Amino acid sequence: MARVAPSSSTKALYFLCILLGAILLYVDISYKSFDTIKNTYISTTISTKFLFKKITIDPFIYLYELSSSKSQLINKNRNLQAALDKSYLENFIVSRGDKFFMDDEAIIALMSKYEIDQIFHASKIKLFDTTKYFCCDTHVMYIDVISSSDTDFTGSAVINSEGILGQVISDNGVKEVLLLTDTSHYIPLETEGYFCNAKGSGRPGIISCTYSSLIWTNPVSNGQKIYSSGLGGIYPRGIPIGYVQGITNIDETNIKIDIKLITNPLKVSMLGIIENQ
Amino acid sequence: MKAPGILKTILLLFLANYLESITAPAFIKIYVAWPVTFLVFSGLVYISSKNINPIYAFCLGIFVDLISNSLFGLNAMLFCLFSYVINSYSNTFKLFSYLQICIFFGASSVFFIGLSNLFLAIENFSYLILFVSFFFNTGLALLIAMSPIHRFSVNRRLSEYD
Repeated sequence: MARVAPSSSTKALYFLCILLGAILLYVDISYKSFDTIKNTYISTTISTKFLFKKITIDPFIYLYELSSSKSQLINKNRNLQAALDKSYLENFIVSRGDKFFMDDEAIIALMSKYEIDQIFHASKIKLFDTTKYFCCDTHVMYIDVISSSDTDFTGSAVINSEGILGQVISDNGVKEVLLLTDTSHYIPLETEGYFCNAKGSGRPGIISCTYSSLIWTNPVSNGQKIYSSGLGGIYPRGIPIGYVQGITNIDETNIKIDIKLITNPLKVSMLGIIENQ
Repeated sequence: MKAPGILKTILLLFLANYLESITAPAFIKIYVAWPVTFLVFSGLVYISSKNINPIYAFCLGIFVDLISNSLFGLNAMLFCLFSYVINSYSNTFKLFSYLQICIFFGASSVFFIGLSNLFLAIENFSYLILFVSFFFNTGLALLIAMSPIHRFSVNRRLSEYD
């Protein structure tokens, strides 16, 4: 049977639906009104996955490991792996202790002030939409601290064993982390005494920064190392962020530099949240 | 051909979205965007013997927006638009060859990718991705049109008229 072409009333309904879609799109872009729904969906998905795995897969894995003579070795290996991942993070902070904090007393003062016994909270990636990471301007990941904590981590920096990844932008149990490469993310940077505010490019591993050659008199060269400036109070000062990868002249005075980040969010699943000071 | 019921459609779109999320990081390295969810929806509208209700298309679009963590209204709007186009030209498509229909789906997917990128990745909008994706999606549609599975469904469809 042949399909009938849409009648006038159906066309009107189509038009209304498209209009409604456009209004929803505008509201979402302008006011981010649906973020709560999206975050609730993501939290539910993560919890469901976790529960489903715990109920269905984990018992079988447990039984298998129990019956296997190697089960103890497997557990030990897992614990060692977790400890190793954690030690990478600790080493990262210790090796740059003077960068994260002015001196040991500052660390002690901070820890006693906030009554904390650790300078970072070990966390694991719960959800990372790699599709959006590779295709789109939005680069976010969802993480959760390993040991339970009531602290609200909103505004805290997130690191892995390579360096800074981004910052926590919302904390509803699961922490939403805005990566450095997200186009809505800005990080103040420093190189050879000059400062600039770098913006995420939306491309994996690249952020960009625009400066005026009238202010930056020393020319920037490819491969030059860029550090965090500590301005803004989110990220510690002097942490290596990346290297200059591309230099583009926008006009006679303004120059745009692309910075290749040192950190790769796809590499390590063990992360650390540095509590907002 | 009868289109699958609402639950089957939702499940199909969910699986398509999952497949898209797995394949997208690999494909983007070769400048290809493969909007599986959109193509599955378009395919369902195309094979359906009845016109798809605009509210049904809108709701499915909202569902896809939710599961793909996309901007609300983007897929809803595009699903409505394309279900309208396919419904309007459903009889005209019968005059088209398979190649022409495959080109139509390839072009539709490019339109979808282009418009999505305008909202989701405006700073990295790439004509190269659109160009390569057009050939990839058209080629893929041709492969499906020539595949034994598709021929089987066509034969079954033709046998209904015997």
